[in-house]
Amino acid sequence: MSLKSLSTKNLSKKYDNKTVINEVTINLPSKGIFGVLGKNGAGKTTFLAMLMGLIKPTSGNISIFEKSLEYRKYEILKEINFQSPYVELPKKMTVEQNLLFYARLYEVKNSKEKVHRLSKDLLVTKLLDSNYGTLSSGQKTRVNLCKALLNDPKLLLLDEPTASLDVSTSEFIRRYLIDFQKKNNSAIIITSHNLDEIEEMCSYIILLDKGKVTFDGSKTSLFKNNKYSSLKEFFLNDK
Amino acid sequence: MINRIIALLIRYKNIAFGSFPRLLSIFYWPTVQILFWGYFTNFFVSNNEMGVWTALNIILSAVVLWDVLFRGQLGLTMSFFEELWSRNLPNLFITPVKDYEIVISLVLISFIRTIIGITPAIFFANYFFEFHLFELGVNLIFLFANLLMIGWSIGFIVSGLVLRYGQAFEELAWAIIFIILPFSCVYYPLSSLPDLIQKIAIILPTVHIFESMRLILIEQKIITGNFILIISLNVFYITLSINFFLKMIEVAREKGLLFNQGE
Repeated sequence: MSLKSLSTKNLSKKYDNKTVINEVTINLPSKGIFGVLGKNGAGKTTFLAMLMGLIKPTSGNISIFEKSLEYRKYEILKEINFQSPYVELPKKMTVEQNLLFYARLYEVKNSKEKVHRLSKDLLVTKLLDSNYGTLSSGQKTRVNLCKALLNDPKLLLLDEPTASLDVSTSEFIRRYLIDFQKKNNSAIIITSHNLDEIEEMCSYIILLDKGKVTFDGSKTSLFKNNKYSSLKEFFLNDK
Repeated sequence: MINRIIALLIRYKNIAFGSFPRLLSIFYWPTVQILFWGYFTNFFVSNNEMGVWTALNIILSAVVLWDVLFRGQLGLTMSFFEELWSRNLPNLFITPVKDYEIVISLVLISFIRTIIGITPAIFFANYFFEFHLFELGVNLIFLFANLLMIGWSIGFIVSGLVLRYGQAFEELAWAIIFIILPFSCVYYPLSSLPDLIQKIAIILPTVHIFESMRLILIEQKIITGNFILIISLNVFYITLSINFFLKMIEVAREKGLLFNQGE
């Protein structure tokens, strides 16, 4: 049996009396790009944050690469990373200082070399001496992605990675992530409101509705079961 | 026009009175000023045989040592707040960095910032006023270290409160030191305070530190019991405050606050 990148069992999160994540049980293969979809307030970001240990579950278990997040958190955190346009890096440091800072936190070997290689790949070399706070949102996204790839994560979590980006930058990011996944045989979990993006990138879909998983399986089986030809069509007809 | 002015007034009223720390700072300052300068003047008027130079030396020593506490606390809280202001907390907390490593780093950066901040002040006081802080001898290191520890204790409490209750508590980072100032007996002895306040003030290690400072400068006397009390109180407060800070990180994880902090 192959290693699972992520397993959750009866995972729930409640704030006072409000249930945000409700008994989520899923098992994802060790590699691939997985899309988490849902309307606003479905619990997508909370779900991602729980996988990183940023939000403590009310009940249930999370295992990443068969290791319990509760008991082996720091071991797991070395192998995962995260990027979101809503989470920034220190603004008063240059891009290079930021990337070297995180490389040190992840104990990356030959950190300077790694930072320069990633900067070249993600077209941010010219920005290395700029203060992070002065960058445009497209530039910040590419720098954040550099940060997220510093430790060659086996599991990469992306919260709306192309939100508020122009068409060409979005396409560049998508291409880069698909290549990264293939080269590294890693697992990538993406939440997005961009249905075309999820459809293009992901082979496996998790649908969340009010914190509950309503579908969990391959994209083809989602379309086959519901007789729709695209995610957009599925969502527009979903009551 | 009137409607727009009323709208702005409502907005400013909400800012000023919308949170307890902000409300506190509005009415607390005038009271603190009166108390502080009242006790200060009383002490120097009733001890006019002390001589100008001794008085000046006591005041400058107190100013410099009080600043150690202030810098120590600010060095810690401001370093932590930088992470909040730059919306960097989620990135930080998903690295393999452990909570206690953050605590150690904050303490070290506070120490470095305090040394850098306080050195020019000592130099200028020495140059312009012939003030010799080092007359306190090795005791200076003891007093310095303990004041820094108090600064850290306060810093961890304030940082924990801001993490848990949000940015309204940031005001405390600047104000809290001055809230305890009148009761810390920095510029006047404990006996200057009313009996009831004395009984409360003795739980503050700052009181015993500045009492010891005055004893050394005026009578060249050291009371070992005082030093033991200072250490005991400080160990108690630093343990309490670090645990409080770590607990607030845990609560922030439970309530999902690490994801939603920022400018």
